[in-house]
Amino acid sequence: MALSLKESILVGFSDFWSRKIRAIITIFAIVLGTMSIIVVQSLVKGLQDSTLKWMMERGGLTRIDVGYNWEYDNPRNLNRYLDLREFNQVKNLIPEAEYVSPQITSWRGQISHGKNEVFGNVNGVLPDYPRIEEWKVSEGRFITNLDMNQKNDVVVIGSTLREELFGNREVIGQHITYQNRRYQVIGVMERRFFQATTSLGSDNMMEYYNRYIFIPMTTLITKTSAADEIWNFTIKASTIEETVELRQKVESILLNLRSGEPVFRITSAKEIADEMESGTIVFRIVFTIISMISLFVGGIVIMNIMMATVNERTREIGIRMAVGARRFDIFFQFLIQTLIITISGGLIGIVLGLSILDFVGEYIGIAMSGGTTMVFVSLIIAATLGLVFGMYPAIKASNLDPVRCLAYE
Amino acid sequence: MTEELLVTSSIVKDYSMGKIKVRALDGIDMIIKKGDFVSIMGPSGSGKSTLMHILGCLDTPTSGDYFLDGEQVSALSKSRLAAIRNQKVGFVFQTFNLLPHLNIQKNVEIPLIYAGERPRERVKKSIAVLDQLGLGDRLKHRPTELSGGQRQRVAIARALVTRPAIILADEPTGNLDTTSGNDILNIIEELHKMGNTIIVVTHDNNIASRANRILKIIDGKLQKDGSLA
Repeated sequence: MALSLKESILVGFSDFWSRKIRAIITIFAIVLGTMSIIVVQSLVKGLQDSTLKWMMERGGLTRIDVGYNWEYDNPRNLNRYLDLREFNQVKNLIPEAEYVSPQITSWRGQISHGKNEVFGNVNGVLPDYPRIEEWKVSEGRFITNLDMNQKNDVVVIGSTLREELFGNREVIGQHITYQNRRYQVIGVMERRFFQATTSLGSDNMMEYYNRYIFIPMTTLITKTSAADEIWNFTIKASTIEETVELRQKVESILLNLRSGEPVFRITSAKEIADEMESGTIVFRIVFTIISMISLFVGGIVIMNIMMATVNERTREIGIRMAVGARRFDIFFQFLIQTLIITISGGLIGIVLGLSILDFVGEYIGIAMSGGTTMVFVSLIIAATLGLVFGMYPAIKASNLDPVRCLAYE
Repeated sequence: MTEELLVTSSIVKDYSMGKIKVRALDGIDMIIKKGDFVSIMGPSGSGKSTLMHILGCLDTPTSGDYFLDGEQVSALSKSRLAAIRNQKVGFVFQTFNLLPHLNIQKNVEIPLIYAGERPRERVKKSIAVLDQLGLGDRLKHRPTELSGGQRQRVAIARALVTRPAIILADEPTGNLDTTSGNDILNIIEELHKMGNTIIVVTHDNNIASRANRILKIIDGKLQKDGSLA
């Protein structure tokens, strides 16, 4: 004598379709709510993933950078750089670091090979540099300790410079000229690449690396106009856990060297990543709450419309009861109808959300992680919404008195 | 045909309107046998609608006993009453009470859905009953596309489709013109001849005279049992 689930769903569907416009309007609220959940959650996750990827490209989470502190106005005019002696002092104080690599940049310099003239960024570095940057040499070799000790006139160049100066020709052993001195090319760095799409168009955010020229630091200090000034250097901790501690240690060493003044700014990739993650968590929570509110509002809209539907169909309820519908049958009929609205709204929201992600992801060049979990979570939320907000109208409908329903005009 | 299908003893129905109690039925005793064609007459406010609701198991008496087809219905739960309505009672209303958004075949099918019948059986049975009532060529029509007389025939089909023990008709011709009213009364007579037990509630003497028994109700009490059969 019970109305089967299948029958209830069929009755629910035919009711649903008999009032198409109302159904579509009601669904809309749920579609928007589900869509915003999917889009926001995936967008935040995608941004986070891609920033993390960017950090890994730049040498991973164990990297610590020391450089100019822009926030410090230096009233006592202390040196904002380390000379090589000071640098070695610092390096000796942190033997636990995996590598320490200073860089002396002599900004942009003109480099030539024969008649080809290009600009590149000339850097004096130590042999450790490629290991810290996790950057490989694609041709030849990198600078060695021997090059350092002998102050050899050798260079390693970036892949773009190689193309511009030499094209497809053999490059190892060739010579380039910088500040009227000839250097032998001993290696070419691998091309570095990180795709990002900005308002200006698609771009390789790491292209400037491919215009670098590396010269042994000793050579650069002694044989060019570059001074004995190390403005930046990079340290690599051996494990992620040690990174934060090492950063603090380096900070106190540098404070000691500069009479306690924060002349240098020391940042660790690990801490930046942590900060970023806690930042996005707040962002995610805020947006989840906003989505929840919009779903809640959608739920109230549905409840309202279902109440109106129950009212409007009082007579029908009476007729159905007169021909044998039990209270549970009526309850189920209205609950199923609400569920059909919320679940189909949820499904449409998921489809729309995923297509927006596809579109937006392509546009800003970030891989969106929609994910099946997200889809299931949204569906469960939509169904729960239907159960919660459909319950009261359904109970109200099933508690009606058949005699009164039949007299209802 | 001596089987007692419907027996009531001292049925009382009170309604409370605020603090005032209104006694709609005041001790109804009656017996209706299988195959009877009974009309219940009375002016409006006499309690005849209340009596019909109780006889049709839409409502329960305040006190007294009611046996339908051997079952003590006055003490049943609401879902059990729904099952009784489904299996043993067929209603025909003055205002037809069809569902406007469903076609007539679907309308006739509804009681069978709640009876848990398979879809194929339901379609078969509903078409057969509609055929019997001369509506076999309009199965896909909505009620609004039919005349009043045709609509009432659909309602009769819906009442008949579960083969109920009793058919309860409340002013079945009240909304119809004379011709289609007579048409419906002929159908009801026909159903009676086929062995159905029928109760018609009406205030119209012409209708009542077609029954083989007339029960008159005034102020919640039965006045007279004019047994014509």
